[in-house]
Amino acid sequence: MKIGIRIPELYFDLGCFVMASLGLRRIFGVVRTFSAAAADNGAHKGSSRTWKILTFTVALPGVGVCMLNAYLKTRGGHERPEFIPYPHMRIRNVSFPWGDGNHTLFHNRHLNALPDGYEDESEDH
Amino acid sequence: MTKQMHAFHMVNPSPWPLTGAASAFMLTSGLAMWFHKHSNTLIFLSMILMLLTMYQWWRDITREGTFQGHHTSLVQKSLRYGMILFIVSEVCFFFGFFWTFYHSSLSPSPDLGMMWPPKGVIPLDPFEIPLLNTAILLGSGVSVTWAHHSLMEKTHKDMVISLSITIILGIYFTLLQGMEYFNSTFNISDNAYGSTFFVATGFHGGHVIIGTLFLTVCLLRQLMFHFTSSHHFGFEAAAWYWHFVDVVWLFLFISIYWWGS
Repeated sequence: MKIGIRIPELYFDLGCFVMASLGLRRIFGVVRTFSAAAADNGAHKGSSRTWKILTFTVALPGVGVCMLNAYLKTRGGHERPEFIPYPHMRIRNVSFPWGDGNHTLFHNRHLNALPDGYEDESEDH
Repeated sequence: MTKQMHAFHMVNPSPWPLTGAASAFMLTSGLAMWFHKHSNTLIFLSMILMLLTMYQWWRDITREGTFQGHHTSLVQKSLRYGMILFIVSEVCFFFGFFWTFYHSSLSPSPDLGMMWPPKGVIPLDPFEIPLLNTAILLGSGVSVTWAHHSLMEKTHKDMVISLSITIILGIYFTLLQGMEYFNSTFNISDNAYGSTFFVATGFHGGHVIIGTLFLTVCLLRQLMFHFTSSHHFGFEAAAWYWHFVDVVWLFLFISIYWWGS
């Protein structure tokens, strides 16, 4: 069954390969429908297939590559800055309306100092 | 039976605009009560009222449009204008936060050390998690476009899959941002850097959550066969909103994360 597709042959072959390797032949088959009359709000025949291919060959692998990059980069562990009681840091003009009023909402005991210094005594982190 | 001789939708009387306005009033005054008087009763009540209003008002709109046929193409056109204007107002909202960021960062004041990032602030590496977040949102823009096309081409299963992928990416973004918030060495009380960073990215994150919920409602509606291949404005509105959220992130990434580091 040959359908007129506007995307180049290369994408078609690549798409087939990706679909097969991802076990998506069944879905792929469903997508290859004719558009009835011209009543599809300007959707061209098979344009959803183009976006499907883009999702699985560009979008999701792109996310995967960035995940790998982020994971490799953060393996070094977080170094926390030395505590210097700068007046422009850890400003407390009004107390926070939760807890003891002295901790920010996303307070991290290891990485965030209070106005007096870090909460955990030990320095070797 | 009387026919209406016009294409407009004369909405039946409804209490939701009133309850919505009341909840908005109580939210704002409740926030002041919470911050300054340490009392959270008002804001708690207003949250409940707001959620009830949202659920019932949008349920009514779905009934009027999908089941009762009131959404003629003219009505749909007005809904489109409405959504576009709302998104424009949101752009204005974020414009303010970008203004304040550039105001503080372009000529940093002496008490920050006349440098940006200020002395003592260690910014996040933009090419770790923030870059991943950029890829996530851009990728979700591709998958939501796939969802739209498959909706127009009547491939139900594909639409469900692609919309689910979009929602999962949205949730992943939110989880990563939450993790970043907990693992940053600076916080909101660290001068103008912290204020601009957390207010701008915080409001953006709130909008991501709202967009994800909007898309989830669309998924549920699709599973209940509310949408047709030619009439699915609710989904289009959700997709527009999602693209807006993505664009705001791109500006945030370039301005605050990358240039500001």
